Amino acid sequence: MNGLTPPTAGASRAGARLPGARRAQGVAWLVFGAFLIAFPALFTNPTITSIAVFTLIFMTSTTAWNAFSGYSGYLALGHAAFFGTGAYTLAVLTTDLHTPGGYGVFWFVPLGGVVASLAAIPVGLVALRTRRHTFVVITIAIFFIFQLLATNFSFTGSSSGEQTPTPSWSAAGYNDRFYYAALVCLAIALALAVLIRRSRFGLQLLAIRDDEDRAAGLGVRVTRVKLVAFVVSAFSVGMVGAVYAYFLGQIYPQFAFDPLFDLTIALMAFLGGLGTLSGPLLGAMLLEPLQQYFTLQFSAGDVYLIVYGALFLVVILLMPRGIVPAVTDFVATRRVRRSNLAEQVALGQGGTQEVASGPAVADQVQAVPGGA
Amino acid sequence: MPGGNSTRRARLFSLGAVLASGALVGSAVAGSAGASTQRASKAPITIGISLSLSGDFSADGIAFERGYKLWAADVNAKGGLLGHHVNLDIISDASSPVQVVTNYQNLISVKHVALTFGPFSSLLTGPAAKVAHRYGYAFVEGAGGAPSVFALHLPNLFDVALPVEDSLIPFAKWIASLPKSARPKTAAYPTSNDPFTQPQLPVAQAILQKAGVKTVYTHVFPAEVTDFTPIADAVAASKAQVVLLGSVDVPTVSAFIQAFAQQHYNPRAFIATAGPDQGAAFVKAVGASNTGGVMVPNAWYPGYRNATSKAMVSEYLKLYGGSASDVNSDVAEAYAVGQVVAQAVVATGGFNNQKIITYLHSGKTFASVMGSVKFNSLGENLSAAAFAFQWQSGKYLQVIPTNAPGSVKALYPKPNWGA
Amino acid sequence: MGTQLIHAVVDGVLTGGVYALMAAGLTLIFGVMDMINIAQGILVVLGAYLSYVLSVHLGLDLFVGLAVTIPALFVVGVVVEWTFMRRLRERERTAMSILVTYAVALIIEGVLSIVFGVNYVQLHAWYVDRSVYVLGFYLPYIYLFGFALAAVLLGALYAMLYRTRFGASVRASLQDRTAARLVGIDVARVSTICFGLGVAVTAAGGMVFGATNAFNPNTGYDLISRLLTIVILGGLGSIGGALGAAVLMLVLEDVVSVVWSPVWSAVVFFAVLVVVLSIRPVGLFGRSMARAQ
Repeated sequence: MNGLTPPTAGASRAGARLPGARRAQGVAWLVFGAFLIAFPALFTNPTITSIAVFTLIFMTSTTAWNAFSGYSGYLALGHAAFFGTGAYTLAVLTTDLHTPGGYGVFWFVPLGGVVASLAAIPVGLVALRTRRHTFVVITIAIFFIFQLLATNFSFTGSSSGEQTPTPSWSAAGYNDRFYYAALVCLAIALALAVLIRRSRFGLQLLAIRDDEDRAAGLGVRVTRVKLVAFVVSAFSVGMVGAVYAYFLGQIYPQFAFDPLFDLTIALMAFLGGLGTLSGPLLGAMLLEPLQQYFTLQFSAGDVYLIVYGALFLVVILLMPRGIVPAVTDFVATRRVRRSNLAEQVALGQGGTQEVASGPAVADQVQAVPGGA
Repeated sequence: MPGGNSTRRARLFSLGAVLASGALVGSAVAGSAGASTQRASKAPITIGISLSLSGDFSADGIAFERGYKLWAADVNAKGGLLGHHVNLDIISDASSPVQVVTNYQNLISVKHVALTFGPFSSLLTGPAAKVAHRYGYAFVEGAGGAPSVFALHLPNLFDVALPVEDSLIPFAKWIASLPKSARPKTAAYPTSNDPFTQPQLPVAQAILQKAGVKTVYTHVFPAEVTDFTPIADAVAASKAQVVLLGSVDVPTVSAFIQAFAQQHYNPRAFIATAGPDQGAAFVKAVGASNTGGVMVPNAWYPGYRNATSKAMVSEYLKLYGGSASDVNSDVAEAYAVGQVVAQAVVATGGFNNQKIITYLHSGKTFASVMGSVKFNSLGENLSAAAFAFQWQSGKYLQVIPTNAPGSVKALYPKPNWGA
Repeated sequence: MGTQLIHAVVDGVLTGGVYALMAAGLTLIFGVMDMINIAQGILVVLGAYLSYVLSVHLGLDLFVGLAVTIPALFVVGVVVEWTFMRRLRERERTAMSILVTYAVALIIEGVLSIVFGVNYVQLHAWYVDRSVYVLGFYLPYIYLFGFALAAVLLGALYAMLYRTRFGASVRASLQDRTAARLVGIDVARVSTICFGLGVAVTAAGGMVFGATNAFNPNTGYDLISRLLTIVILGGLGSIGGALGAAVLMLVLEDVVSVVWSPVWSAVVFFAVLVVVLSIRPVGLFGRSMARAQ
């Protein structure tokens, strides 16, 4: 076991067995999507849209990260390397090509994603030969190599960083363009995550997570599957790094390649629920605005660190698998209990009998070897 | 475990829902709260500032905050700016460029501040100034002087402090002016990988090489290195007679000095681009017996012979205690920002940012606690004073230019470590 | 160049000792409890601050002060483990430990910032600036003492692991927690004490770090990635491995810094790490895990 096991399929299947749940899920996604699209029109305040742009950037990154790490069980803590690669691609190219500010620069965003994916190939080939803790550390080491290279090469501006073109849009709706650019990136990342999850490829990834050797024995091309997932996850992160570079207007190596970024996107995915689709989104929507809001309101900088950390601990300890699985379990338990209760009443059996719901039983079975 | 968990899970669910909606609503509320409208004159005006009150740049950010606040208190004591009481809205950016962008958007478009002052560090000034530029705000600052900031060619950007590149020129010229027999023959130029330090050394190196000082060590080291020993030892092994160290903070200088002391390596002159100007923090880190002879460039010092400067220093000491050498040049830079903006406001008769920008670019010279301020088209203050300072017997003294009022003779060669 | 090279190697060995002292606790926790302790960096800083308080306010010598700081940090470790780590479920232990220790690190950093402020401080003593002249080199006393301290403490840890019954339980838990439980070892208690020991050793690392570097509450971040890489390179749970890896990597960095350039020494550090781990994933002195991957 590699220590990373998202909610078992039992939870979602218990829900899926009941037709209403599937439809409810679909409606929820539609409403959510509509809300995101209408957001800048609803909240015209530039502070809010500014926070929203950064939040979308994190939502995209953590969704893409989760599509690899959550499904494969390989904790990659070096994705900031791809974020920075995307950012520098846009910055360096627009500077060298003297691209004027405006909508044209957005064409460099997918280019940033592509370059990041290309960079992910050699990285993946090296890193994916290892497992578990070694993999974690190798990704961290490779990330630092990227950061150091960016800081030392002159074509990346060395320590002085790079600037990006300044568009001449008016201040009022300025953030909106970046908001929608990030939203498109998020849509792509989500689509890719869904594609992976619902495909045979995704099943192979999950099999690798559960028991890689057995999967290999059963004929799964493990190396290729892992590498493809890794490269795909780098794509969205690279794109959104390019958006970040354009939005800020100037990037420095220590910010474009920021080790805290790696920790943050992992945290967001864990908080929301590793391996779920909505979990990372929820995690990002909670943590990023919360952090910026805290800094804005409680400028006594260090108190905010303590409160943030404490809040974090409280939530983690109460919901160790993440918010979404905790919620899903709760809903599923209630449903099964209700239907079982109805059954019992119908059969004339009263009283409260211990009801074993799907996920809870699975928990118990797996909890036994570990002891209480 | 099934069964008894339903109430607990219900609570969890509501906790999660509350958190989520609370965060989203909260950020919306935070954004729209505190909007103030400017009415007729004599109502208080607010100046918006984002500072690094936590994180990597916090030591300097807090010093800047004190400088800004000191200036505001002085202005208000004299009746305010054009009769308006001055309020400062200072929020923290935790030394993060992401936060600094959000902060200035908030200050300008939600809090509707009349004016903005700059943040701390060249790393944050770029993105922040771009936001201000979008809204047409003047952006006067005192801590963003790296070439990378001016490379943005922003018309609204004004740096009251000396452009970073030129900081070491007085020192280099002084070394070059020493008589041939006393002049050092070799020099070492170790520098941190930083947009603030790296541009300074080649400028100094050019001057020194022309004066016949041979370069025996010139290497860049990563800013994030946790062990300076081999680098410092390599400098010591080069036996350079003068060392120009490109450092950004106290730990870097402290590590080098400690290694030099351990290696019994005593160059004739030693200057560090930042660190020795941090007063008590520098002394505590390095040890009082090691400070003798260490030099640092700066555009200001607590003993500066300038009336407003002296007044500012005594006020600072009254408020915050300590001794004169504890007053950081960050305080003076912040104070100078306020002074320059105040002069522009008075000259243009109001708070119109566009007029202020035009006026600041008009080639006029302004007075400040740091001496005269005059901006070129890029926003650089080329008439800024440039000094070099030296620690002598626990005192922080101005030694270069040698003919400046109050200048003290430099200790050359510098005393040995631990003396 | 020759003398410089030797000097670089000597520097690397001595500094490696300091890093080994800081990393020892991490490898113990990592190896026995399967937990990645992101708070290790800030714990080093905490140890340094404790030594600072004792030195400045009570005038205690730095090494004497260890008699107080080591037990103090042991208590801190036990409390943290008992309050937070114990609650983590077996299955997601590794991943969850990252989150939890990160949150704990934030809290400790916030508290330190409030109590001590953000200005840099450094530990001082007569042996911090002075050095002894041996065979043409100046060897700083603090590094020699620090290395000796590392040898003593790591030796003690090693003896504990291999010569005591408690140590046997620790090694058993390291190899296979379930099997250890089945044999009657109270794995939970062993884990708590191990965590406490790991943090206690860090107090010593903090003291030496604080004497050789100016620090403030933010200093913890740079350290943790270095410590993690050393621990993995050395092999999980191997004390000797931590020392060996620390010395190896520091020597490598210092030599590259002298021979080529300081800027590339860090790149080489990480590149070598990547190469070694691709060939031998368990690290230089690690054992293959008994658990299934």
